[in-house]
Amino acid sequence: MTAELQQPKGNHRYQEPSQARMLKIPYNSTLSSGIRSFSVLSGLRATTIEPSNTNHPKSQSHLKNDEPTVKHANLSNAQKAYLDRAIRVDQAGELGANYIYAGQMFVLLRKHPHLKPILTHMWEQEVHHHNTFNALQLKNRVRPSLLTPFWKVGAIAMGVTTAAISPEAAMACTEAVETVIGGHYNEQLRVLTNQFELDKTDGTRGVPKEVRKLINTIKEFRDQELEHLDTAIKNDSKEAVPYKIITEGIKGICRIAVWSAERI
Amino acid sequence: MLNRSILKKGLFSYRSYHPSLKEYVKPATLSPLTYNKESVQYKILSNALTKWVPKHGFKEKAITDSLNELGFSSSLLSVIGASNSPAIFRSISPAVMELIKFQLVSKRYELTENLCPDTTPKNELPSLESLLLKRLEMDKAIGKQIPHLFAELATPSSFLFDVALPELHRLSDDMIYFSNEKDHHDMAWYTKRLGVSCAYVSSKLYMAQDNSRDFEDTLSFAKDKLHRIMKLGEYYNNTEEYAWYMFMVSTNLVRARLARS
Repeated sequence: MTAELQQPKGNHRYQEPSQARMLKIPYNSTLSSGIRSFSVLSGLRATTIEPSNTNHPKSQSHLKNDEPTVKHANLSNAQKAYLDRAIRVDQAGELGANYIYAGQMFVLLRKHPHLKPILTHMWEQEVHHHNTFNALQLKNRVRPSLLTPFWKVGAIAMGVTTAAISPEAAMACTEAVETVIGGHYNEQLRVLTNQFELDKTDGTRGVPKEVRKLINTIKEFRDQELEHLDTAIKNDSKEAVPYKIITEGIKGICRIAVWSAERI
Repeated sequence: MLNRSILKKGLFSYRSYHPSLKEYVKPATLSPLTYNKESVQYKILSNALTKWVPKHGFKEKAITDSLNELGFSSSLLSVIGASNSPAIFRSISPAVMELIKFQLVSKRYELTENLCPDTTPKNELPSLESLLLKRLEMDKAIGKQIPHLFAELATPSSFLFDVALPELHRLSDDMIYFSNEKDHHDMAWYTKRLGVSCAYVSSKLYMAQDNSRDFEDTLSFAKDKLHRIMKLGEYYNNTEEYAWYMFMVSTNLVRARLARS
């Protein structure tokens, strides 16, 4: 898990998502009872590798030695609630981004093959983000957003419609989405760095390691999202025809989505 | 007002972030109880639960007998129920509410006491079925009192929404998290927990009327129930995969036709 979070961009262990891959039926071999598990459109999931399974935890005795002697005071309920909604909204957001790119690629790849490397690169990064937050959600036992099916359908629809208008419109959509996501990540970073100083048993104060790790993850992801924003602008997003309507409309939708994914 | 409380307490606020245990000092209380294992309340209530509840049921008498046995004054009864507000429309004392809450919470913690999914590999954790059966077996001793316990838990009141339902869902959440069951990132997260909650409640209801030796029937009922719920999940999976497969096939067919013409 640790290695997963600190993994630099590029060097993805996840397989390249492709049409053929999508059709594969995932089967989780860790189930001992032989019972297949519930899933929702598992075929659509770009990857089926569980980060927690591939990266095997170390033996228990080893970790016992790792246990820090200096401990933090417990997180307050408000702090826990904040982390809870932060992870939920980030997971939902990355899911949305992942599916928007999937929808765009579905439409654009045949007509505009020159966009393939750009879109694939961005999509792979989003898939990595999505997997990281999925792992965090399971590890910290945060409930996923109740509107998840709606986010999936909405994101694919958004990707497909903007790509159907023109490649520039697709790029304008990326620009709008990444603008909102970047701003939202910055907001989270502000709160996480300001509000999570806790008393320690040795008398000093500090931010707990897991929160610091989360901060680093979000920083890395924010930088990548802003990189996508630059890519979109470089690829003529400003030349999309109803530019103002597309970007402002999508920004509005994203803000509403963020607001509701935090809560529901 | 009531709606808000149902939504907030039953669904949202109890599924909060669980920090990693290694980095923080041990919490002072066994949340949502307001005391920990070393406290006097814990001793009184656990003694009442193991010794006197099988005899008297979930009544004030079980607590007073436990108090007398441990040498406390029986006026402590009001202290024990202090964290509960008195029920308005039903006749249950706050101390008995606390005893029922204690029965749910302490047994939930006991169930997963030595398990640590963070450090143990997934395949060494117990299965969901074994945890469910273990939880049912914990209540063998109070088997005769289950109808009364259920009546108290299921009566529509704030107790149902503040304690009974959240505890039920926390239990199923724990059973999934601490077992080797696969967990999910989407709606399946909710459906699986609901399924486990249903299996648990229906087995408990079965247990209330079970006269077989050592509750054998209940255990086999629970196994069967869980198995059937998982089967339902499998049917759903298969349908979904089939639908997706058909969708991809027909899209590709249309594409191929278009490319040819």
